[in-house]
Amino acid sequence: MLKYILKRVLIFLPTLVVISLLTFVISINAPGDPVESMLNQNVGGEGRSGEKLANEKTYNEKRKELGFDLPMFYFSITNSTYPDTLHRIPKKAHRETLNRLSFEYGVWENVSAYYHALRALESKIFELMPNEKNSSKIRNIKDNINVLYINYDEKKMMQTIESIEFDIFKDSNIKQTCENEFYDFKNSYEHMLFNEKTINRYIPVFYWYGINNQYHRWISGFLVGDFGISYQDKRPVSSKIFDALKWSMILSVLSIFIAYIVAIPLGVKSAVDKGKTSEKVITTLLFLLYSLPNFWVATMLIQYLGDGDGLGWFPTHGLGDLPESAPYWDRFFETAYHFILPLFCLTYASFAFISRQMRGGVLNVLEMDYIRTARAKGLKNKVVVWKHAFRNSLIPIITLFANIFPAAISGSFIIEVIFSIPGMGQLTLQAIFQRDYPIVFTVLMFSSILTLIGILVADIMYAFVDPRISFSNKK
Amino acid sequence: MNMFNLFNRKAREEKIVAIQNNNESYWTIVRQQFYKNRIAVFCLRLVFSFVFIALFADFLANEKPLVAKYENTLYFPVFKEYAVDLGISDWQPEFRNVSWKDLNYDFVVWPLVPYLPRNIDVINTWVGPFDTQNVESSKWKHWLGTDDLGHDVLAGMIHGTRIALLVGIVSMGIAALIGIFFGAIAGYYGDDKLKMNIPTIISYVLGFFIAIFYAFGTRSYVLTDAIGTSFGSFVVELFWSILLFVAIMAFFRVLIFFINKIPLNFKKISIPIDILISRLIEIVVSIPQLFLIISIAAVVAKPSIFIVMVIIGLTTWTGIARFTRAEFLRIRNLEFIEAANALGYKELRIIVKHALPNALSPVLIAIAFGIASAILIESTLSFIGVGVPAETITWGSMLSKSREVSSAWWLAIIPGFAIFITVTIYNLIGEGLTDAMNPKLKK
Repeated sequence: MLKYILKRVLIFLPTLVVISLLTFVISINAPGDPVESMLNQNVGGEGRSGEKLANEKTYNEKRKELGFDLPMFYFSITNSTYPDTLHRIPKKAHRETLNRLSFEYGVWENVSAYYHALRALESKIFELMPNEKNSSKIRNIKDNINVLYINYDEKKMMQTIESIEFDIFKDSNIKQTCENEFYDFKNSYEHMLFNEKTINRYIPVFYWYGINNQYHRWISGFLVGDFGISYQDKRPVSSKIFDALKWSMILSVLSIFIAYIVAIPLGVKSAVDKGKTSEKVITTLLFLLYSLPNFWVATMLIQYLGDGDGLGWFPTHGLGDLPESAPYWDRFFETAYHFILPLFCLTYASFAFISRQMRGGVLNVLEMDYIRTARAKGLKNKVVVWKHAFRNSLIPIITLFANIFPAAISGSFIIEVIFSIPGMGQLTLQAIFQRDYPIVFTVLMFSSILTLIGILVADIMYAFVDPRISFSNKK
Repeated sequence: MNMFNLFNRKAREEKIVAIQNNNESYWTIVRQQFYKNRIAVFCLRLVFSFVFIALFADFLANEKPLVAKYENTLYFPVFKEYAVDLGISDWQPEFRNVSWKDLNYDFVVWPLVPYLPRNIDVINTWVGPFDTQNVESSKWKHWLGTDDLGHDVLAGMIHGTRIALLVGIVSMGIAALIGIFFGAIAGYYGDDKLKMNIPTIISYVLGFFIAIFYAFGTRSYVLTDAIGTSFGSFVVELFWSILLFVAIMAFFRVLIFFINKIPLNFKKISIPIDILISRLIEIVVSIPQLFLIISIAAVVAKPSIFIVMVIIGLTTWTGIARFTRAEFLRIRNLEFIEAANALGYKELRIIVKHALPNALSPVLIAIAFGIASAILIESTLSFIGVGVPAETITWGSMLSKSREVSSAWWLAIIPGFAIFITVTIYNLIGEGLTDAMNPKLKK
C-alpha cells in the first residue's frame, strides 16, 4: 500500500514540473515590463540627464533584486542569431526589438554595437542643456531615439535616423556636442545593414546557462512559499492568496461534503425504486439540474430571492459586515447566512452528477450474481441493498472525487465572482483586470496543485477501498 | 501466377469485409436503438434547427434588407455583403456609411429581425418585451427587449447561436483530432507492439526536433506577424509551417528507410508508447482548464473567441483519448485485426481502415458531452468578461448584462435558458448514444 502511494506521489512530481513550466511560459509572455509595473514609473523619455541616470539606476537595481537580469531557463536551443547575452539588456521592449533585429540581420555583434552606439548618442543628447532655440529639437531627437528603441522595420528606422540627422545638423550647438556620436551610430547602423547574414537564422545552437536563471529562481521561491510581490499594493502574493484561499476552500469542501451526503442516499433510493413514477421524476429532475449552468442559477437567485428587487430572503453580496469585535457566534451565523445561496449554486450540479452516477453504480451491482444469491438466501431487501450492494457501488463514486474536486474549485471561481465573496475567484479576476500577473500565475499554480491533490487523494482512497488496484499495479 | 495472386487478394479482402460486416451491423443496431429513444431524436432535431439558425443568422437578423428596390435598381444587400466580405465585390458609393433603415426604398423585404446584434437603438434602452417601445411600427419592435445600449436581444440570440455552435464544433474538432490520434496509437501499439531499432528511434527524435526548429522556430516571427495582420494570413502561414514540418519528417522517414537497408543487425527495442501517452493524459487532466484559459486570456494582447476555442480543444482531448485507447486495446486482439496483420497490411492502414471505424462509437459519446461542456465554458467566460472580446455578443455576455439592472428579467431568462437548453440537448444526445451502445444498461 505504502509503495503504491509512494509511486503515485512520484508521478505527481513530473506533472508538477510540466505545469510549472507551462505557467512560466505564459508568465514570460505577459505583456508589459514587470520591473516597470513594480516601480510604477516610466524610465527614460523626458527629464534631465541626472534624473534619467538615477531612474535607470533604480530600474537596474530593482531588476537585479527581482532576478530579471538572469537568463530565462537552464538552457536554450535557438538559431544562431539569438543573442546569448540578451538577458543583460534592461527593458523588455528593448530586448524584444534587439532580438528581432538580430534575427533580421543575422549578426548579434553588429546589432549590439548599434544598440550601444544608440545609447551613447542618447546619453550625449541628455548632457545638452536645452535653451529656447533648440529645446524643441532636442525633444524631437529624444522622441526619435525612443522610436528607434522599439522599432525594427527598416523603412521606419531609416526615416527616423534621417530625421535625427536633420535635427542635429540644424543646430550648431547640438552638432558640436554629438556629431561624433551620431556618425558612430550611423556607421554602426549601416554596418549592421550591409553585413547581414540571414543564413545564421537556419543554424541551430545550444546555450547552457546553469542553475542561475529566472525559472530556477521562481520555482525554488515558490517551493518555499515565496510567490513574489503583487504589483498593485506591493503586498506579498502569499498573504493575499492565503486570505482568499481560506474562503474558497471552505466553500469547495463544504459543497463537496454536502453533495456526497445528499447524493448517495438519493442515488441508492432511485436505483432501488427503479420504474416507479417518483423515481422517474427524480431522475429527470436530477438530469435537468446537472445541465443547469450555475452562473445562470446564481443570477436568477440573486434577482428573485436576493435583497435588491427580489423577495429579499437572502443577502447576495459579500460575507456580511459585522465588525471583528462582534460575538463569535453572531459573526458565524452572519457568514453562514451569506453562504446559503453560493453554497446551493455550487452544490446542486455536483450533487446531481454524483447521485446519477450512484444510481448507475447500484443498478450495475444489483444485477450481479452475489446479489441474486443474497436474495435467494431470503435476506430482506434492505439488507441486500445496504449491506451487499451499497458498499460495492461506492467504488466508482470515490473516483468521482477526482472530478468533483477540480470542478468545485473552478465552480467556486464563478460563484465567488457573482456573490462578491473575497475568495480566489474574485482575487484572480481583479488581478486580471489590473494586470497583476504574479497573482494570476500563483493562482494558476495553486489550482493545479489542488487539482493534483484531489486526483491523488481519489487514487489513494480507491486503492484503500479496492485492494486489487494496488496489487495489480505491482505486476 | 499473377492471376492467382489477384484472385487471392480479392478473396482476402472479401473475407475481411465479411468479418467487419459483423461490426457494421453493430452500427445499424446502435442506430436503431438510438432512434427508439424519442427524447434523443427530438434533441437531434433541435440541434439541426440550431444549425439552421446559425447558418442563416445573417438572413434572419440583419440591418440590411434581403431584397430592396432603390432608385429603380434591384439589390440583394445581404448576399452582397458576403461578396464584399470575400473581397469579390464592393459597395456602391451611395451605400457606404449609410443607415439602411432610413433609405427611401421603392420596394423592400426585410429579414425577420431588422437588426444586427451590434446595432444601437438609443431611444429604446432597457426595454422589456412587454414594455411600450418607441418604434415606428411593429416591424421594428424589439420582440425580446433590449439592453443598456439598445442592442436587440433577439438579434443577439440568433447570432449568438452561431458562436455557441462554433465553439462546440471547433473545440471538439481539435479535441477529437488529438484525442483519437493519441488514443489510437496508445491503444493499438500498447507497450509492446511498437518495435524499432535504436538508429531509427534516434533519427525520428532528431528529425522531430529539426522539423520543429525549421517549421516553427525560425518561422516564429513570420507566424506572430501573421497573427497581428489577420486570422486568415495566420492560417495560411500556419499551413506552410505544418507543410514544412511534414516535409522534413518525410525526409527523415526516407532516411530511416535507407538506414534500415544497411545490413547490420540492430537490436529492436519496444517503445512503451501506452505508458508515455497515459502519463501525458494524466498531466493534461490535472491542468485546471478554466484557470488556464483565464491566465492565457489575461496575457493575450488581443482576446479572440478562437483562442478560447483552441484552448478548450487543447485541454479536453483527454476524455476522447481515453475512450479511444480503451476501444483499441480491446480491438487489437480481435480476429479481423489479426487477419489483417497476418496478411501483411501496413499498420497505418489497419489502424485507419479497420480498427478506427470500430472504435469510434465511444468517441461519439465523449464528443456529445464535450460539446456541452465547451459551450458551458465559453458562456462562463463571456459571462465574467474574460477571454472573449467585449464587442462580441454571445449568450453569456448578454446574460451578464442582467446583473447591471436587476429588473431586466428578459436578459436573465432568455440567454440563460438558451445556454441551458443547448447544454441539455447535447447531454441528452450523449445519454441517448450511451444507452444505444450499451442496451444492457437500459433494460
